[in-house]
Amino acid sequence: MRRLIYIFLAVSAFTACEKKLDIDPNQSISQENALLTEGDVKVTLIGAYDGLQSTTQYGGDINTISTLIGNTEDIRFTGTFAGLADIHKLEITAPNLYATTTWAGAYNTINRVNNVLSALDKVTSSQEERDRIEGEARFIRGSLYFELVKLYAKTWGNGDNGTNPGVPLVLTPTTAITPESYLSRSSVAAVYTQIIDDLTTAENLLPETNGIFAAKGAAAAMLSRVALMQGDYPTARDAANRVIESGVYDLEESIEDLWFTFINNGGANPGEYIFSMTVTQQDGVNNMNTFFGINTSAVPGSAGRGDIKILPAHLDKYEEGDKRGEFFQPVGNNLYTRKHLDRLGNVLVVRLGEMYLTRAEANFREGTEVGATPLKDVNTIRERAGLSPLGAVTLAIILKERYLELAFEGQGLHDAKRTRSAWSGTPWDSPLLILPIPQREMDVNENLVQNEAYL
Amino acid sequence: MAAIKKLTGLMWSLLLLTALSVQAQTRQISGKVSDQKTGLPIPGASVTVKGTNVVTATDADGSFSLQVPQNATTLVFTSIGYGLFEMAISDIMNVQLNVSEGNLSEVIVTGYGSQIKKDLTGNIARIKAKDLENVPLPSVDAALQGRAAGVYVNSQSGKLGQAVTVRVRGNSSISASSQPLYVLDGVPITTDDQSTYGGAMNPLVDLNPNDIESVEVLKDAAAGAIYGSRAANGVVLITTKRGKTGKTNISVNFQTGFSEATNRVGFLNAKEYADLFFRAAAYSDEQESLDPNDPDSYTTYARGFLDYFSFGEWSETSTANYDWQDKAFQRGGFNQADVQLSGGTDKTKFFASLQYLDQIGTIVGNDLRRLSGRLTVDHKANNWLNVGFTSSLARTTTHRLPGDNAFSNPLQASALPNITPFIDPNTGLMAGTPPGDVNIPLYYNPLIQVEYADFIQEGYRNFSNAYASASILPGLSFKTEFGLDLLAQDEESYYQTQTVRNVSTAVNGLGEYTTAMVFNYNTNNYFTYTKEFGKSNLDATLGMQFQKSLSKYGFTEGQDFPSNSYQKIASAATKSDGSTSETEYAFLSYFARANYKYDDKYLLSLSIRRDASSRFGRNSRNGYFPAVSAGWILSNEKFMSDIDLISFLKIRGSYGSVGNAEIGNFPQLGLFTGDAGYAGSAGQRPSQIANPDLKWETTDQLDLGIDFGLINNRISGEVDYYVKKTSGLLLNVNVPATSGFNSQVKNVGKLENKGWEFVLNTQNLIGEFKWSTNINLAFNKGKVVDINGQVIEGGVGSMNRVMEGQPVGVFYTVEYAGVDPDNGDALFYLNTDNNGQLDKTTVNSRGYGQAQRIVSGDPNPNMIFGFTNNFSYKGLDLTVFFNGVTGNEVNIYGMGRYSSASFRFEDNQTKDQLGAWTTPGQVTDIPQARLFYNNGAQISSRYIVDGSFMRLRNITLGYNLPSAITKKLKIERLRVYASGQNLLTFTKYPYWDPEVNSDDFDSNIAKGNDFYTPPQPKTILFGINVGL
Repeated sequence: MRRLIYIFLAVSAFTACEKKLDIDPNQSISQENALLTEGDVKVTLIGAYDGLQSTTQYGGDINTISTLIGNTEDIRFTGTFAGLADIHKLEITAPNLYATTTWAGAYNTINRVNNVLSALDKVTSSQEERDRIEGEARFIRGSLYFELVKLYAKTWGNGDNGTNPGVPLVLTPTTAITPESYLSRSSVAAVYTQIIDDLTTAENLLPETNGIFAAKGAAAAMLSRVALMQGDYPTARDAANRVIESGVYDLEESIEDLWFTFINNGGANPGEYIFSMTVTQQDGVNNMNTFFGINTSAVPGSAGRGDIKILPAHLDKYEEGDKRGEFFQPVGNNLYTRKHLDRLGNVLVVRLGEMYLTRAEANFREGTEVGATPLKDVNTIRERAGLSPLGAVTLAIILKERYLELAFEGQGLHDAKRTRSAWSGTPWDSPLLILPIPQREMDVNENLVQNEAYL
Repeated sequence: MAAIKKLTGLMWSLLLLTALSVQAQTRQISGKVSDQKTGLPIPGASVTVKGTNVVTATDADGSFSLQVPQNATTLVFTSIGYGLFEMAISDIMNVQLNVSEGNLSEVIVTGYGSQIKKDLTGNIARIKAKDLENVPLPSVDAALQGRAAGVYVNSQSGKLGQAVTVRVRGNSSISASSQPLYVLDGVPITTDDQSTYGGAMNPLVDLNPNDIESVEVLKDAAAGAIYGSRAANGVVLITTKRGKTGKTNISVNFQTGFSEATNRVGFLNAKEYADLFFRAAAYSDEQESLDPNDPDSYTTYARGFLDYFSFGEWSETSTANYDWQDKAFQRGGFNQADVQLSGGTDKTKFFASLQYLDQIGTIVGNDLRRLSGRLTVDHKANNWLNVGFTSSLARTTTHRLPGDNAFSNPLQASALPNITPFIDPNTGLMAGTPPGDVNIPLYYNPLIQVEYADFIQEGYRNFSNAYASASILPGLSFKTEFGLDLLAQDEESYYQTQTVRNVSTAVNGLGEYTTAMVFNYNTNNYFTYTKEFGKSNLDATLGMQFQKSLSKYGFTEGQDFPSNSYQKIASAATKSDGSTSETEYAFLSYFARANYKYDDKYLLSLSIRRDASSRFGRNSRNGYFPAVSAGWILSNEKFMSDIDLISFLKIRGSYGSVGNAEIGNFPQLGLFTGDAGYAGSAGQRPSQIANPDLKWETTDQLDLGIDFGLINNRISGEVDYYVKKTSGLLLNVNVPATSGFNSQVKNVGKLENKGWEFVLNTQNLIGEFKWSTNINLAFNKGKVVDINGQVIEGGVGSMNRVMEGQPVGVFYTVEYAGVDPDNGDALFYLNTDNNGQLDKTTVNSRGYGQAQRIVSGDPNPNMIFGFTNNFSYKGLDLTVFFNGVTGNEVNIYGMGRYSSASFRFEDNQTKDQLGAWTTPGQVTDIPQARLFYNNGAQISSRYIVDGSFMRLRNITLGYNLPSAITKKLKIERLRVYASGQNLLTFTKYPYWDPEVNSDDFDSNIAKGNDFYTPPQPKTILFGINVGL
């Protein structure tokens, strides 16, 4: 009899196991429960900034690619990352890692933004709060589409904007993969229309100041870039002027103060920064630093692979006494820009200095003096660089000033393209200066067309 | 589902009712067991009442006595080295056993039971303790290499304790794991990597191989289906040693030895390097019309480079050469001490062991220490109940090496030009150590990491298992088992400020601490029923299994330490990072099996398992996995009895369905994850797209086999042919990245594996001088049938690719066409489709983008083999074991793009680069050296090379001292031996080791990649074994 009791105990021990199969994940929640409250919407917006800050986006690669691409005039690239080496030598192939991750990272972030925008009705605390959230989300989406269309499509005005393929436009969150997920490229014109809609709405909705997050000025500054790209100088001028006149931002007194935000400034942005990606010890990587920076005992806190070496020929472009021409760090027998030495430095997206140069250029081209004369704006920038003021300016002087002021900040390529100037010896409209639609994307979506150089 | 639950419930009740009617009545049997030839008694033989757990063992003079149930009819006698013998019960039984007939009477462990080898209808390979013991490998999976037909083992690298690739009958998955299920004494154990540093670690390293009695590999569906959704990659059953009745046996074993890396690669010396560098720079100057004396010229750059990176030491005439590759290696060591005790009485038996292992790797900074103990007790509570318990505890401490793709990987020192002195003359410290110039040498000096950083992994592992086994009725018994596998591991690292060039966060010291705790428990409960009626034998099993595994992880990071003397995070001014996480899964399974035998000739087996798991979508939670198999022992037929040559002949066949459930824990859900914080604010992001229909992968397998024995089984063997068809492959199906996701897990896709396996055992000489040979040989051909148009790539340069019609992970790349003799350009074939023909026009680097990729190799071997010869003469014995693989290729682009690359970069180059093109008309395969130009270093078939090899895996020479001497020494036995591991390798492979799978690139599809991967060690050992 005893053995029966034992056996009964053993057998009954496993009757209620079926329930034990219902296990939920611990680090994640189901998508149905993710966007139910205002708080959920806010943390998803933070998630969108996190995406924007990733190394493949404003965390570094967007600006690294456009600085490095074909730039054998200023840069010797000795790094071992084949994807970047190919970009430098204009030997890009469709599977290029950087072309692939920048594309995927941008759309991943756009999906986060679209999730935010789809749930704005959950934001009920105040209209201001709802406007702010929508404004920030629209700023992120508009900025990313702008970067995508610059990198992956023909320049505005190079042929017919209405038929030149831009990039696919996704404006709603993805909850399932459906036939509609297999998008074609919208035209360059359609993409610009969306960008302007996003950024204009953002500028209208955003507050004047917004901590480290996108504020009115950031949207206006981004709009000024878009307008310059389109050759719409009055719009560019006015947008830049709004940023300057807002009084929210100040020019730094010295070049040095613009950089080393972590080493010298404890992580705080200089007053000149309009928008940047914050890097903290907890979070974020400055991927400009990864490739442009180098670890040198001369600058404690410096780091980097030291892959991007500045050629001595670049220094010849500066006038005697130009502090910007001295803003280079010799390490061994190589030269590095001092802009990206700070390992935890915030990654600059746009700063006030650029707005002066944009206003100067647009005023000059339009023959206007909105805000200030072109000469005054250029001299403002020159004086900060330790140079004597000029008596008169030409378009060439303004553009050269812009080139030197923004060197290695990711703007040069696009300035060359919009001004129809050769970029490091390569014609501005060369198909080689456009990234391929990533091979994986071509393989998975037959509705896409490849760019000319990669057919 | 509810109906099934009810049915199961009903089944249990019925069985209980039957049990109620039992009355225990027994009678006493006694007797003696002896050797048929010599008449000597056989101690320690086991005597079992057939179909029950009633068992005893003979004592020192071979006699036994046993209480058997009244209705018992037959006793079964077994002893190692003797054939199984059955005899009808009488009060006094004197039994004579015959020396074993080959391995046909071996008892083979199957899932939830065991079977005699000659009655098997499925395919199970058995590896005995003898082949696993005392080899200088810390984990048992590595020791399976070459031991079982159709079981492919690749040790991946020479890093100690790292993961090993094991494939049973080919790779049957793309995204899910392809590693077999490991079951230790009935418990499916944790074998997935729990480490965070470098490549994957191998949790099997916590099991002392010397504790293992046998390893069975279940290869076909008939053998595996009892493990249902988890058997598609094969099942490895590990059975540990248990005590035997008789005198207490004490065995002490000690071995010591040393090791060296199996191979070095030829790199340029300092002078050759400088010469080739200038040659490469001269080309680039010419190309860009630069005067070599121009400060911006490549030649000027080269001169500056050589000067800078040699601390100013280099000159045209200097002869100094610093062999950086050599710095990556050290002489390894191996010390192991084992004590094992076993013995027992009729009622209680025990086994106990203790081992200490201390292994020093052949790569600087790598060592592994393990202390492990085990205790096993089996107790006969009364005439119907047996209980037992086993528990082991191990501590494994490893100084680990970084992943292959880290500058701190010591083998990457090979990339450093030999012009750079080891010591910085300005500081007297290693080159690159602050306060000296940290940017010398060319890349981070990995020896700084060895000197100024530690990465220690420490694992504590407990395997425990308790069982009770009850005889309910004659022939019917019930066994309940509860087992657990507890893995507790921490990893602790500290990077001193000197490592800052590589670890930028270590500017003021960096400390990291991670923990992993995996609590995995399992219960098996099953009935076994054995019945003989007339000429029929029936053996049936019915039961259930429940398993649950919970994993918890923690991570803490600190920066800014007062000095390198403070290395615990307590002293970190900034606690810079931290995290905890948790995951779990559960399986609930029911299974049934019946083995039927008629007249010792006809065999039939049926089995089914039903699995439910938390891993699958709500719409498809339960799976059924049936199998059927049959065998015919022809040699027992009358018409075969006259054929003396054939002593045994069986044909068998099996067909069944098994699954693969190793896809991670929540792949079916649509998820948001809260890891998307920014600048101190918390954030969330969509992280996974849902698939509620997700389920296991299904593999249907057919196996046809012949087992044979010739000339009294002096020659015996097996031949098998199999076809494995896998459908519903769990694929990370690529979706447009514009959706915000890269992939979605879906059950799409099919692949198949077909192959032949051959096993041949021969006793060539059986006199005083004995010689036997074992050969196993297997051919497998895998083919991806359908992947729904997905492009799945991986590996170095993304050259591994999954393609329909090809084996998983073939190398798909542009085809290298050699060098243009006119100008030294590297050439590639266009291979564009030209009316169905591949266009073999060649292009140089500028046209590379137009060249199409083709299948250029396969990382999966066509043939794997093991070949063992055993010789013995009196007390001397010699074992020579070779194994190898053929027909596979390895991707060497990892090193090749840098070091066999015509000065694409400044890395030191391999010796073959001296043959680079220099003059028009020169025919060579090495393109002209062009500094910073890409002349042939593009991704291409130039870097896909033959990976076939044969290795003298083990050679052991042993001597057992004659008993006359051991008696004088008052010991049972004394054996001394010497053995060598990997002493010879036969291969054409140009880099370190063809047996390679770089850890940083390893995945199911990314096999056969080499990325400065450390080679296997070759080891020489001396051992002594004393029996007391």
